[in-house]
Amino acid sequence: MDLLWQTAVNAMYAASYMSLIAVGLVMIFGVMGVINFAHGELYMLGAYCVVFLYAQENFPFLLAAAAGLVFVGLVGLFMERAMFRPLRDNPLSGLIASIGFLLILQTLVVLGFGRRMGHVPPPTQEKLEVFGAVLTHQRLLVIVAAILLLAALWAFLKRTRFGWALRACAQDAEAAALQGISMTQTARIAMFIGAGLAGIAGALTAPLVSPTPYIGHSVIVTAFIIIIVGGIGSLEGAVIAAVLYAFVHTFVTTFFDGVIANIVGLALMLAVLVVRPTGLFGAKERA
Amino acid sequence: MLLELRDIEVRYQKVAALKGVSMAVPAGGIVTIIGANGAGKTTTLRAISGLERLTRGEIRFDDARIDGLAPEEIVRRGIAHVPEGRRVFPDLTVEENLRTGAFLRRDKAEIRASLADVFDRFPRLAQRRRQWARSMSGGEQQMLAIGRALMSAPRVLLLDEPSMGLSPVMVQEIARIVTDISGRGIPVVLVEQNAEMALLLAQYAYVLETGSVALEGPANDLHEDDHVRRAYLGG
Repeated sequence: MDLLWQTAVNAMYAASYMSLIAVGLVMIFGVMGVINFAHGELYMLGAYCVVFLYAQENFPFLLAAAAGLVFVGLVGLFMERAMFRPLRDNPLSGLIASIGFLLILQTLVVLGFGRRMGHVPPPTQEKLEVFGAVLTHQRLLVIVAAILLLAALWAFLKRTRFGWALRACAQDAEAAALQGISMTQTARIAMFIGAGLAGIAGALTAPLVSPTPYIGHSVIVTAFIIIIVGGIGSLEGAVIAAVLYAFVHTFVTTFFDGVIANIVGLALMLAVLVVRPTGLFGAKERA
Repeated sequence: MLLELRDIEVRYQKVAALKGVSMAVPAGGIVTIIGANGAGKTTTLRAISGLERLTRGEIRFDDARIDGLAPEEIVRRGIAHVPEGRRVFPDLTVEENLRTGAFLRRDKAEIRASLADVFDRFPRLAQRRRQWARSMSGGEQQMLAIGRALMSAPRVLLLDEPSMGLSPVMVQEIARIVTDISGRGIPVVLVEQNAEMALLLAQYAYVLETGSVALEGPANDLHEDDHVRRAYLGG
């Protein structure tokens, strides 16, 4: 019983940062129609912001994490301008360009920090007990930050004119243009938010994962599984699928092992695709 | 003239969809463009809105060239376009759809007034303001698309096939709405396959055939024209 509850608490932590990553990926795809293969490396960059600013330069952790959000968001803006905008009419080229870009990011980080693990001492070693389960403050911070950021994103999308514009553009870019909504402006907003969320996910989890320049790889595979299960294009679906996947993966890892958990995760995706090809919350093909 | 098309040409790859079309829309009333499928009606409206690039000719609005401008800039100048197939945002609520129509406007009080006005004109939209647009009937979606266009406080309204796929009762309703909009001082460019309805509503008409203006004149005259009767009015 204790182990079950402890595992559930661990799953909540995994769900929270995976949600941030998956939501960003869905947002970028929704608005620009491009699969950002470099999304895992944006997560990695966020982690290295903390390696640099917090572990090496001794800035406060939260400041370093916030810097991760902003810096990676700006990298997102650069990607939009340099790759996705010129390739807008050809989503496949955008995908290929993002693969090239992820290699560049990896290489730059190797050049700057070496290929070995960056050690990030946790800002706090304290932990609390939640009905018998142990939850470190660092993990609690990730969970709370993810909830706050997703709530802020939700409010932005539902309550502001740029939020409506972004959703409208994701649903029908041409009809949105006829309302005066600029594709370029919307793409920049989506790219900044999407990249920034991946960045802060990496930044907040850096003390827990010991970053390497290659951590983006497993992250992008997981994120793809999540957005396919959730239904490509659905933000709510991405969050729910992240929670679902995190629970399944964490439980299987705990009670069997990590390799089996990966297999189960992929099997889950396969099962969803067989039963509902558009994912759990995906819309039918739009005309 | 409020809106003028001068000898415009639009090509899709090698094929010319519009081969030198000229039209003029005055500052009031309804101008209709009728013609068969593929004659270039929709392309004409898309060219005005900046969704298609011209390969020749020019489009002037308020005596300034607008061809080559981005669609959002053309909306800003006051041209609202209700596209073919309505194209409401399916996963936005009715009210959110309407508010996207006012995207370029800043004055909150004025936007609220426009929203109240649209709800006034379309009570059904008011009843459904929190519903997803996807859950509405074709006629309601058409009203929503028109309402959304009105939310931009347009100086001219382009309507592409508003009667498409609607029941006869709803077609009557749309006809009433179009007349009402024009009666309130917003000139309308009406593209229709339903030539009978279009010619009854409009004051002036253009007949497009394979990308060229085959015929133009006061709508009444065209309604009595032999060629138009045979080709578009079923005898």
